Amino acid sequence: MRGERFLILPGLLFLLLFFGFPLYSILERSLAAPEGLTLTRYARALTAPAYLEAWRNSLVFALLSTLAAAAGGLFVAYWTSGLPARAKGLLMSLYAIPVSLSGLVVAFGFIVLLGRNGVVNQLLAALGLPRFDLYSWLGLFVVFPFYNIPLFALALMPLLETVGRGLMEAARASGATPLQAWVRVLLPALMPGILAGASIVFAGMMGAFGTALALTGFAKNLLSLQIYSLVAESTFDLPQAAALAVVLMASTGLGLYALALWERRFRR
Amino acid sequence: MKALGWVLFGAFLLYMLLPMLAPVAYSFSRLWLGVLPEGFTLEWYARILRDPRYLEAAFLSLRVALLAVALNVVVGVPMAYVVHLWRGRVGEGLGRLLQVLPLLVPPLVVGLGFLVAFNRPPFALSGTLGIVVFGHAALGFPFFYRTVYAGLTGLEVRLLMEAARSCGAGLWPRLRHVLLPNLLPAVLSGSLVVFAISMGEFEVTSMVAGFGTITLPLLLFQSLREDFRAASAVASFLLYATLLALVGLSLVRRR
Repeated sequence: MRGERFLILPGLLFLLLFFGFPLYSILERSLAAPEGLTLTRYARALTAPAYLEAWRNSLVFALLSTLAAAAGGLFVAYWTSGLPARAKGLLMSLYAIPVSLSGLVVAFGFIVLLGRNGVVNQLLAALGLPRFDLYSWLGLFVVFPFYNIPLFALALMPLLETVGRGLMEAARASGATPLQAWVRVLLPALMPGILAGASIVFAGMMGAFGTALALTGFAKNLLSLQIYSLVAESTFDLPQAAALAVVLMASTGLGLYALALWERRFRR
Repeated sequence: MKALGWVLFGAFLLYMLLPMLAPVAYSFSRLWLGVLPEGFTLEWYARILRDPRYLEAAFLSLRVALLAVALNVVVGVPMAYVVHLWRGRVGEGLGRLLQVLPLLVPPLVVGLGFLVAFNRPPFALSGTLGIVVFGHAALGFPFFYRTVYAGLTGLEVRLLMEAARSCGAGLWPRLRHVLLPNLLPAVLSGSLVVFAISMGEFEVTSMVAGFGTITLPLLLFQSLREDFRAASAVASFLLYATLLALVGLSLVRRR
C-alpha cells in the first residue's frame, strides 16, 4: 500500500513544527547576536558560579534520585510480581497514577502531610521530636520517589514477569543462597530493565521543576529552576535560558548515552 | 524476612496513597488544625463552583484537553498506520525517536522552545489558546503514538485493508469504517492518557499561557498561596479527573 504513504505527512509536519522547529529556535536564540553569532551565553552558562552550582546540584539530585528509585523500584516490582493476578492488576493501575497526576496535586498532598503544620509535624511535636522540613533538600528527596519508584517499577515489571521468578527458583534449586541468587543471577538478568528504568528517572529528574517550584519556590538552585526563572521571573533573559536549556539537554543526553552503552553489554 | 517485606511494602503503599487522600480529606473537612481533620462540609466545593474564575478555568482546561486529544488522533493514527506497514528502518527509527524524545526534551524545554519559536510572524501564537493546545498535544504525542502503534501490532492490518480495498472501498471509507473501529481500544487508551496529561499540565502551560488562558492547574498554583481551602477543592477535582481517565483506561484494556 505504497500509495497511502502520504498519510504520514501530517504526523511528520507535527513533529517538525512542534519539536524540530522549537529545538532549532532554542539553538538559534542561544547563539544569535545583533552582529552575527556569539558564544557569550555559553561562556556564562559554563563559568558563572550560580549556574555551575545549579548544574552540579541537578546532576547530583538526578543521580541520587535514580539510585533511590532503583532500590525502591526493584523491591516494589519484585514484591508486586509475586502477588495474585487481581492484586497485581490493581497495583499496576495505582503505579500509573503519578505519571499523569498534576505535580501541583502531589505538592498539595505533601504540604498537608509534611508541611510546617502538617500531620507528621504535629505528631513529632507532640512527641517532643525535632520537626521535619519539607522545604529542604531532604524534603525534595522525600517527595520525588512518589513519582520515581512507581515509574521504575513499571519499567521493570515486564522483564521481571517473563524471566525473574523462574530464574530465581532455578538458582535456589541449584543450591544458591538467596543473596547469591539475587546478585549473581537475578540482577544481571534484570539489568536491561533496570537501566531502562534508570534512563526514564534520570532524564525526568534533570528536567523536573513543577513540584519543586510549588514546594520550595526558587530557593533551591537547580538547573531546571534557573531556566524557568529566566523565562518567568523579572530576570527575563530568553537567550541565556536557551543556552542553559542546551546545556541541560546535552547533560541529559550524555547520561542517557552512557546508560545505553552500559545496556548494550547485557544484550549479547 | 517475609514479614519485613510486608511491612516495607505496606509503608510504600501508605506513602503512595496518603498524599493522594490528603487533598480529598482536606477538601471535605471544616477544620484541619490537629492531626486529623474535623467536621464535614461541601463549602469549599461550593466556593469554587460559585466563583466564575474557577468555572472558566475548568471549562478552558476541558476544551484544551479535548482539542489536544483530537489533534493527536488526527495526526497520530495515520502516522502509526503508515509506519506499521512500512517495514524496516523507517518504522524502527521513528519508534526509537519517539521513545527518546520525551526523555531528551522535557516539558521545560518544550515550553521554552514554544516561547522562542512561536513569538513572531509567521507563527505569532504567544498567549493564544492555540499555543497551549499545541504544547499539550506535543507533550502527549509520544505516549499516544506508542499506544496506537502497539494496538496495530495486534491486528492483521494489511489483510483487513486489502480485503476492504478489493471490495471497492476508497481510502477514506477504509480508514473510517475498517481501521478506526478495529483500532478503537488503542485509540481510546491513547486519548485518555493525553487527556489526563493535559488536564493536569502545569509546567509548559505556565510558560506559554497568557492572561486569557488561565487553565485550572495555573489557577491552582495561585490558590496554593492565596486560598488554601479553594486549592484543596481544585486539587481534589484534578485528582478525580485523573482517576476517572485511568478507570476508563483499565475498562478499555479489559475489553
